[in-house]
Amino acid sequence: MISAKNLQKSFGKNQVLKGIDAEIQKGEVVVVIGPSGSGKSTFLRCLNRLEEVTGGEILFEGKPITDKKHNIDKTREKMGMVFQQFNLFPHKTVLDNITLAPTKLLGLSKAEADKRAEALLQSVGLEDKKNAYPAQLSGGQKQRIAIVRALAMQPHVMLFDEPTSALDPEMVGEVLDVMKKLAEDGMTMVIVTHEMGFAREVGDRILFMDGGVIVEEGTPEEVFGAPKNVRTQDFLSKVL
Amino acid sequence: MLRLKRIIPMLLALLMLTLALYPGHGQAQAQGDSGTNDKKTIIVGLSADFAPYEFMLTVDGKSKIVGSDVMIAEQIAADMGAELKLENMPFDSLLPALQSGRIDMVISGMTPTDERRQNVDFSDLYYISKQVILTRAEDADKFPTMAELEGLPIGVQTGSIQEEIANSIPDAQVTAVKSISDVVSLLLSDRVDAAVFEGPVAEAQVKNRAGLAIAEAVPEDSDTPMAIAVEKGNAQLLTDINSTLKRLNDENAVEGYIQAANELNSGENAPSNIFSFFWKYRGYYADGVQYTLLLSALGVLFGFLIGLLVSLLRLSGVKILKWIAVAYIEVLRGTPMLVQLLIIHFGLASAFDIKFTVLQSGIITLSLNSSAYLAEIFRAGIQGVDKGQMEAARSLGMPRGLAMRTIIIPQAIKSVLPAIGNEFVVIIKESSIVSFIGVADLMFQANAVRTLTYSGLYPLVIAAFIYLIMTLILSKLLNVLERRLSAGDIR
Repeated sequence: MISAKNLQKSFGKNQVLKGIDAEIQKGEVVVVIGPSGSGKSTFLRCLNRLEEVTGGEILFEGKPITDKKHNIDKTREKMGMVFQQFNLFPHKTVLDNITLAPTKLLGLSKAEADKRAEALLQSVGLEDKKNAYPAQLSGGQKQRIAIVRALAMQPHVMLFDEPTSALDPEMVGEVLDVMKKLAEDGMTMVIVTHEMGFAREVGDRILFMDGGVIVEEGTPEEVFGAPKNVRTQDFLSKVL
Repeated sequence: MLRLKRIIPMLLALLMLTLALYPGHGQAQAQGDSGTNDKKTIIVGLSADFAPYEFMLTVDGKSKIVGSDVMIAEQIAADMGAELKLENMPFDSLLPALQSGRIDMVISGMTPTDERRQNVDFSDLYYISKQVILTRAEDADKFPTMAELEGLPIGVQTGSIQEEIANSIPDAQVTAVKSISDVVSLLLSDRVDAAVFEGPVAEAQVKNRAGLAIAEAVPEDSDTPMAIAVEKGNAQLLTDINSTLKRLNDENAVEGYIQAANELNSGENAPSNIFSFFWKYRGYYADGVQYTLLLSALGVLFGFLIGLLVSLLRLSGVKILKWIAVAYIEVLRGTPMLVQLLIIHFGLASAFDIKFTVLQSGIITLSLNSSAYLAEIFRAGIQGVDKGQMEAARSLGMPRGLAMRTIIIPQAIKSVLPAIGNEFVVIIKESSIVSFIGVADLMFQANAVRTLTYSGLYPLVIAAFIYLIMTLILSKLLNVLERRLSAGDIR
């Protein structure tokens, strides 16, 4: 579904991604782990071109989306993204946050979009918050709404950029539960996270990044059970 | 919530309505010239604070321009079979208005100096007045000859023949101000010791205002002829005017007009209590407030839209657009609004034949000027919105423009609302500058009342109070809006 070929990204002289090759299959849950500064968030943000790559190529469903002429807006409709800082629109109600893009971009009527939003809100247990403003919600609630907002576009893949890092510990669980359910329903997901337990439980495949490259990849059993690379071993010994 | 999409068509409709309701003088004149109307219109410019030649009078609660020059204008119009329209404006705006074709002629006690002749053509003389020295009553004996005036502070009206006379007095410190009533105020407040005045004008002042007297000193070459100015090369009009003037001269009519005007100018009996004063002249202020509100409202609205556009250009990331926006902002913020107003009203008209009416020029100037300040306010607001907001919107597939409109700008405006409110208040106050080109706004009307009543303080205090009320109401409204926009902040 997504294939990254020799991805490179530099901020000025600082090269953050030094040639990344990765394939994400349909229905697969890929978890990207690694120390801070390893480039994992940058890698994820390159996938929907929130960061423009400085080298290499990304194919999404067979199309080269890194091509300058490619209409990235249309592609982003199919790639949901969830941010560390939630980034809900503070001046809009929960319902408006969710229905804005479907009505403006997919041509849904307000009624259709509302129906879709309410069903999704119900699935994350927040149907009673639809008229609330983001400032009235807890962090965990905000992140669940942010996930619903992305899902309302019915994306083919979901990108999660450290979705639980900004949460109080007691709220991490509710967000991970939503993500787990999403994985069970067969959603293709790319997740950057520090939640090793979650990675192990939900991930189909683990990518370990360090210094702007993928150092090791494999099933959770392989990476967590018997890491081959010394840097992976070093990292896991510190976080587990 | 602010919905630009709905507001923009509304604004355009409003603009068209405004232009329709106020077709302005430019168009009226064009009709007259083309002769499509049965009756031609001639537009006569004058500075109506020059009693007895031209001054304001309250007739049945309405202000009216009267005076001997007006009577002459009526005669000329009658002889030409044309309808007469009077345009009141500051004296130093008369010739630019004539040159830019906004008025057909100037009959405003104007002396045909060589300097003026370079720019406009003059009719035959219709009256020769004497110049006198006006001073405070207690100083009446101090100036038996012109020699006593040397080195003293002397007041005159800007651009007038009296200014030249004052400048020819050795070492005189000449203060030139916009209107006759300002000159008198200078004199009465001891800022100048004497003022050069047209004889009949000085007599009218002495008659109506306590504490003034005419000194014995008589300026050399004090014979000051008056003639009618027309646009250079307009020989046909000049012939028409001269034939009427010849008739009036033969009938010896002008002297009679001046006497009649002097009798009209018995001085308004202005109430001494400020409340009754206001009540008596409320009509002037009401008229002025309408224009001030209209100018401010349109200035604010168009300034808002243009400012938003400019701030977006500035942030667009396209270098050339950014430069254009920066240049626009710097030029408009770095030059005085009065200069901008005069360039738009007179400069464009004489250089490119773009003739806006005074109201249009006022609205355009206020809009452009405020747009530059608002653009910078918007830029700060837009840059202040968290970067994650744009990323979230874009990640959902929204194009940049849609994200800007629905996500970024509403938040930006909300955060800079106090600064915008501040700018709106500034516009209401700054709109007073348009009185300079003759828009009958609040400031203009306050000056009219000042001239009318020979009162230096009340008309201005009342105007100040009305400005204050308008800005206070605006602040209050903006507070309400701010509260409503903060709906998302409730915790």
